[in-house]
Amino acid sequence: MTAEQQLKLQALLDGELPEKEARETAAWVARDAEAADLARELRQTRQALADAEPGLRVAESREFYWSRIERDIRRLEQAPTLSQPVSVLARLRRLLVPVSAVAALVVIVLATGLWVGFWGRPIRPDTEMTMADSGAFTYHDYANGTTLVWLDYPAER
Amino acid sequence: MRFKKILRPWCGWMAVVCFLLTFTGLAAQAKDLKFEARLIWATHAQKSPDPNHKPVTAEVRKKLEALPLKWANYFEVSRKNLAVPRGGSEQVTLSDQCRMGVKDVKGEYIEVSQIGKGVPVLKLTQRLPKGEMLVLSGNAPDATGWLVVLKRVE
Repeated sequence: MTAEQQLKLQALLDGELPEKEARETAAWVARDAEAADLARELRQTRQALADAEPGLRVAESREFYWSRIERDIRRLEQAPTLSQPVSVLARLRRLLVPVSAVAALVVIVLATGLWVGFWGRPIRPDTEMTMADSGAFTYHDYANGTTLVWLDYPAER
Repeated sequence: MRFKKILRPWCGWMAVVCFLLTFTGLAAQAKDLKFEARLIWATHAQKSPDPNHKPVTAEVRKKLEALPLKWANYFEVSRKNLAVPRGGSEQVTLSDQCRMGVKDVKGEYIEVSQIGKGVPVLKLTQRLPKGEMLVLSGNAPDATGWLVVLKRVE
């Protein structure tokens, strides 16, 4: 028996085949012993599963059970509207938190800028020569607080 | 009412402190910048042929020896004091051939100009905090050198 024949037999037992095909398949099962065995086995399995399923029953009636669920859903939906109204102070406080954070950040940035001399002070090199001969160079001795500017003037002759 | 009573004497003291702080700050800002300018002759010789030359002070010598200069000895040719008003400028003559000018730039920098033999040689701008030194230097005949040392005193 092929897998396709097994599936067709299963469909017959589930009542999923068209009428003509169902008749043909039923005739085949009647003729074929192997098919008849499989059909019997499948029927027994289905019956066993149906018998083993526990028959759970709710104490309340169906209408009462669902109406209770509906009430719970409605209560949850209405919950936010039933809460106490938010005071102006609370709203202001809620607004003040992010505003204060941003203000604090701005103050920190400005203070840091002032501290490192970024605002209102042009960034200049240590020594800026506007006029000197081409051979001039500058040396900074930061440890001793001394700046040396070496000039070619007057050139040694 | 009670709060006002407590606060009233404090307000008076605070006003006095603010007044003093403001005027102290203004007075400090209005102070002149004071400098010492020295013309120095640098040489390998142990003594200067000019008896008017004096060896430089130990402090200046120590700072010069820390610089990449080739000479062993330094003699002071002349020394002048400069008082530069805030935002103003001042000039000083160190020798027949050497003059220098110092200008206050925005109370933060100084502009130093040097005139050698009547010709402007150098103009530079830099910070010079109290106690720090600016040394202008160059070669002179016979393997000697000249140095102009400007030290901020105040």
